[in-house]
This record gives sequence, C-alpha cells and structure tokens, in this order.
Amino acid sequence: MMKIIRPGITFGIIGGLLTFLFGGWSVAVIGCFMGLGLGLGLAGQFERKNPLELVKSALPTALIAGVILVLLSLYQSSVVQEAIGKRPTAEEIVAKGNLIGFLGAVGFSLLLVALHSLPEKQEQQWKIAVLALVVITFPFVDQASELRWTSQIIFALIFVILGLGLNIVVGYAGLLDLGYAAFFAIGAYTTGILSSPVHNIQWNFWLVIWIAAAMAAIWGLILGAPTLPLRGDYLAIVTLGFGEIVPVLFKNLIDVTIKEPLTCWILPMFGANTTCIVFTEHFDATLGEKGISPIGRPALPLIAHGEPAGAAMTIKIVIMLVAIAILGYLFWRAWSSGNRKPGVMAGFAGALAAIFIFFLPIPRTNNTIIDSVLGIIQPGEFESSRPVTWYFLIIGIILLSIFIIRRLRDSRLGRAWMAIREDELAAAQMGIDPVKTKLLAFAMGATFSGFAGAFYAAYIRGIFPSVFDFSASIIILCVVILGGIGNINGVIVGGLVLMTADRLFLPALKDFLAAFLKTTILPSISDPAVQLAVKDNANPILYRFLLFGLTLAIMMAVRPEGLIPNEQIRAELHEKEAVAEVEAPKSKKGKKG
Amino acid sequence: MLELKDVNTYYGNIHALKGISLTVNDGEIVTLIGSNGAGKSTTLRTIQGLIKPRSGSVVLDGVELQKLPAHEVATLGVAQSPEGRMIFPRMTVLENLEMGAYVRRDLSSFQNDLEHAFTLFPRLKERISQKGGTLSGGEQQMLAMARAMMAKPKILLLDEPSMGLAPILVELIFDIIKKLNQEGTTILLVEQNALMALSIAHRGYVLQTGEVVLADKAEKLLKDPMVQKTYLGVE
Repeated sequence: MMKIIRPGITFGIIGGLLTFLFGGWSVAVIGCFMGLGLGLGLAGQFERKNPLELVKSALPTALIAGVILVLLSLYQSSVVQEAIGKRPTAEEIVAKGNLIGFLGAVGFSLLLVALHSLPEKQEQQWKIAVLALVVITFPFVDQASELRWTSQIIFALIFVILGLGLNIVVGYAGLLDLGYAAFFAIGAYTTGILSSPVHNIQWNFWLVIWIAAAMAAIWGLILGAPTLPLRGDYLAIVTLGFGEIVPVLFKNLIDVTIKEPLTCWILPMFGANTTCIVFTEHFDATLGEKGISPIGRPALPLIAHGEPAGAAMTIKIVIMLVAIAILGYLFWRAWSSGNRKPGVMAGFAGALAAIFIFFLPIPRTNNTIIDSVLGIIQPGEFESSRPVTWYFLIIGIILLSIFIIRRLRDSRLGRAWMAIREDELAAAQMGIDPVKTKLLAFAMGATFSGFAGAFYAAYIRGIFPSVFDFSASIIILCVVILGGIGNINGVIVGGLVLMTADRLFLPALKDFLAAFLKTTILPSISDPAVQLAVKDNANPILYRFLLFGLTLAIMMAVRPEGLIPNEQIRAELHEKEAVAEVEAPKSKKGKKG
Repeated sequence: MLELKDVNTYYGNIHALKGISLTVNDGEIVTLIGSNGAGKSTTLRTIQGLIKPRSGSVVLDGVELQKLPAHEVATLGVAQSPEGRMIFPRMTVLENLEMGAYVRRDLSSFQNDLEHAFTLFPRLKERISQKGGTLSGGEQQMLAMARAMMAKPKILLLDEPSMGLAPILVELIFDIIKKLNQEGTTILLVEQNALMALSIAHRGYVLQTGEVVLADKAEKLLKDPMVQKTYLGVE
C-alpha cells in the first residue's frame, strides 16, 4: 500500500510547493502537469486489467496527490501570500484555480492509468494523443492564465533538442563528448553570419537553418576525425579541448585577412614581382564579444501582416511564377505517368509551400477584399512578443528530430553505434567499420545542435561567444544523464526538468525568498551590514551550478540510470543483482565462467 | 581456401609469428595446438586483420586479406568466435545474434538461420531475451559461436572454445563443432586441449614460439611421440 501512496504524497508536495512560487492561476496548470506525470509513472506499476479496477487501485494515490496540492495551494493563497506581502489573488481565481488543479491532477492521472487497460500499442497511441493535446493547448492556457511560462519553456525545448543530439554521440555510440556546445555555437554563428544586416547578408531563415545543420555536421566530421583512435577518458579530454577552442575562435574572428599564398609569399620569395591577391582584409566576421545582432527571423504566412511592397517585388514575383510553372510541369508529368504515390504528392505540396514561403510578400492593391485575402497568405515575421509562434516552431523541430532519431536508432547504423559502444573490437569483427560509424555519430549528433543553434540565434536575435562556453556543454550533458542516457523520452524529460528548474523555478524562488525575507527575518536584523549580506546572498540564482552539481550527485547515488532509463544501461548498472538472480536457480549445475 | 604464406607478425619489437605458413581446405577442420604464447591466437588475429603482419600473405579464395581492416575481412566471409568470447554484454541474446548477421545484406534466410542456431544451441533459445552479460560462461561461449555462424562465413575461426568450461560442456561444444563441420562449415580451431582438438580435426599444426614445428593429419599427430609427450601428457 505504501508503495502506491508514496508517489501521491511526493507529487502532491512538490506540486503544492511550486504553487508557493507562482501563485495565481498556477495551481490549475501545475495540477494538470502533476496528474500527467503521476499517471505516466503509476500506469506501469499495475498489471493490465479492466479500466475500472485500475482506476480503483490508483484512486487513493491520485486523491492524496490532489488533496495535498489543494491544501498547500490554499495555504499559499491565504497565509503565505500575506506573509510575503504579495497582492492577494482574487477569490474567484483561487476557487476556480484550485478546482481545476484538483480535477486536473486526479483526472489526468486516472485517465492515463485507465489507458493501461488497453493493449500496449493502443495504450501508446492514446498516451501520445493525450500528450499532444497538452502540448498544443499549453501556450494558450499559459496565455490565458497569465503565467508567462512559454518564453522560458522555449529555452528548455532548445536544450531538449541539444540533449537529443548529444544522446546520439554519448548514449548510442558511447563516445563521451564534453565539447558539444561547440556545434551549438557553429549552428548559431552560421545563422548569425548568414542572416544579419551586420554583414549585409540576410538569407531566409528557412534556408539558413538547413545550412546551419549542414555546417554543424561537417564540423562534426572534422572535429570527430582526430578523436577516432581515442577511447574513454582520452576522447573526453580532446572533445573538451574542441569545446574550448570553438567559442574562443568565434570571439577572435574579428580581424580576418585571407591572402592567396602563391602570389603573396611564395613567388616573392623567389624574387618574382607579383601583385598579391587578397581575398579579404580586416574582415570582422563575428564582432567578438559584442556578438552579432540583430539576426533575421523566420517568417510564415498566417503569422502576421507584413509590410507593403518593396522594389524587389517584381523580380520576386517573376521568380515565383517561373518556379511554379516548372513545378507544375513536373507535377503534370508525374501525374500523367501514373506516379501518384503519397510521398511524391507530399513532395510537390512541400515544394509549392516552400516557393510561397520564399517569394511572397505580395504588393498591396487598393481593393480591400483582395488585400485582406492576400494579407492572410503574406508571410509575417515571428516576434518576441508572441512566444506562441516560436513555441510551435520548436515543437515542430523537436518532432522532426525525434522522428529522425528514432529511425536512426532502429536502422543498421543505430545497431552499429550500439555495438561500438559495447565493444569496439567485437563490432569490427562483426563487419562494422568503426571509423565510419563513429564519424557518423559525431556528424548526426552535431546536426541537431545545428538546428538548435539556428533556432536559438533567431529567437534571441543576437549571439555572443560567452553563451557557448564549457558550462553549456556540461549542462547539455547533465540533461542527457539526468533524463537517462540512451533514451529519447528520458532526454526530453531531463531537458524539461533541468531547464524549467533553471529558467522558471530559480528566478521565481529568488523573488519568493526576497519577499519572504523582507517581511520576516530582515526587519529583525538590526545591523544593516548583516541585513544587506543576508539579502544579497539569499539569491538561489547565485547557487545555480552548486544546485546543478548537487542534483547530479544525488541522482548518481540514488538513480544512476536517470529519470527514464535505457534498459540496456540499467541492466549494466544493476548487473550484479541481475546476474545473482539468473545464477541462483542453476548454481548446482557446476558451470564455471 | 585459406592460405597463410610466411607470415611474420610483431607486437612492437616482439616477433610473435616467425614465418607461419598453413592452409585450410574447403570443408576441413584444421586445428592449431601449442602451449601459451605459441602464437595461436595471434595467428587468428592476423587472419582477421586485427593485427597487420609485417610480411607474408593471407589469402582467402584468391583475395589477399593481410592489408584489409578487420571489418572488411569480416564482410569477405571470415567470422571469429574470439578468445574471451567478446559478446555484447548489454544486448540480448537475440540482438547479439542479429549483430552476427550484420555483414549479410540479404536477410531473407535470417529466420531460418536463427532457428538452425537454436537447434544447435537450444540453451540460447531459452535465454533469447536475456542480456548477454548475464549468461554463464558456457552459454556465452555458445552465443559467441552462434553469433559467428549467423554471418554465414566461408571460414569460421574458433579461439579456445573450451577455455574455462566444465568437462561436460567441453564435450558438448566439441560435438557442436563437429556437427557444424559436417554441415559444410570450414573451421580453423585453436585449442589448448590438444586431445579433444585432434580427435575431431582432419589436420593439425603444432605451434611453438611462433613457428610451425609439426604439420600432419590429426590421427598421425595423436600418435607422434613429441606431441604425446608435450601436449597430451603421455609418458
């Protein structure tokens, strides 16, 4: 019984304490997320049986979690809020918020538990449907409840992509990479250089993001190559070095001069009188510490109304019409030759959409009806004031990444990665080319950080070398380790937990502590110096890395396989127990080995 | 089928194989016997391409192997059940066997071969979803052999399949080696257990400190006084 109730208490207390930090409507949102987490965790604990029985056995846990949440939340709105001198929440919000929170906690957890009665595949599909609903509605709920979490969640999602990419290198291929942020930087700087007015190159984001991914992949190959003969600790140290070199390089690419060596040095050495060919002189590529800013942003139809027509419009329209004509011809040929597979059709639709994205804006006419119709399909820029658009963009990138990574994992290449991770020599004997396999792991891993980097640069609108230092690499590695090395779901959870803790909870905790101290302890301290010291040091953001380290240390001691482990890695970490289990029944057979 | 000509292999400055020449014909079991450090495993590692010989040639069906990396040798039809087994500890038995078939592009007969492996090693079928690392020593040896067989190799290299196993299991393993050979697999067997090896092999080579000192039919080697004295413990 205790085993079933304990998660209810844990979740209830964590959820309730979180409402202390945010107040207002937060209890409703937190309740729903708590229910989701609890339901996903609980479902696996039960046998598959009919839904009513499942609900019955999970009911006490769900109720306990819900009750604790509401009690703590009510305590928050009645006592704590007053104690920290916050404006009290309107009674209506308190009542409604707590009701929704309670129903969400109980409802979602019971729903997910009840789904466990279905066969495994169906259960999986339903779970995905529920999660999809939550993911889609979240930004709107967030907007309505005025919590303003979306813009911070987007940072967490960037780290989810980075974690997914690093997971290929560390989790699948078993190559400990301590400099992964280098590829993040390469993706971001590629985007910065190619789409910033600073250099007068302003390419379309939808093109640049692929170039950024490709650049990261190429550098993955280049930086991966020297590490090939290395294993374990030595590999980690070399990647650490690369992780340090790349941001320093970007910091210092402020005075680039490239001369053609033959005409400038070699021929003059032999007394020839040539004019030196200079490709570029004193070119400031990255603007050093100042960073590149502003950076162009993605644009899509339906996002916002764009500006009226410019001068280049006619050319654009001509290109667009030509492109459409070529595409139409190809489509007609494919269609009439009977090549009507869904993939081919989807390809044409995608190409048509791409043409529109690249070449519209459309000029304004003086006809209001035409203008309003054209206004809808006219691409508008993503704005920082509207995080919802960014949120869906990054969700799209994550879905694409998950799709690709799952296919990779289950492919021949994925198997080869895992064999290399297990035993490189044995893998070679199986016919696996270690060089190719490892290089592809570096390249594929880097590709996803290229996506993340491009998104990050466009989202922040500026990039600075200090963002990509060693600590970024370590945080990404923490995401992977905390979530569960080698497990896609684990890495997603790890990224969300770690980065929301960093981006949402710590700042909220800081405000909470400051307000709390101001009303309770600070007035009772007479010495102003001590008062100031207490006030300054009660800032959890200062202890960010301490808390990171502490979390990791605790995780390694309590649950080294991560929050949602990869079963192979769990098997290894708990190998002794498993072996004991297997050996025990047949120990009499007198085998050695 | 497989021919080694005057192969010299070094570990750094140590001259491990001093001009080894041997042949394995189609359908044979050929065994290499010798004491520790005689160069038996080194010979197999040289064939497989894990170490490059400094001189000499290794030819399989007319293709020179000595310059190729290990994974290419594997794709040409050389599979090894290595010393110390080297199974993938965190993969299940089935996944290990699937890795064995990695070199094969045509997987249409994969299921049949899997079934066949399980008839030879019924023990593995019972353990099919268990992690390789949790198997007992004998089971790991069976897995290593079955995994090598899944590649459908032209020649199967077996390195000390009896090492560390109880006598009853050793007999079982040798029965299986015989059976594999009767089904048409060519086998190069490295063994310290000379009596067992010579009793199933067609021909044998005796290695001493990196040199072939005797080469003959297996039954003749069994009667050779030197072999009897040194490797079979007969006074």
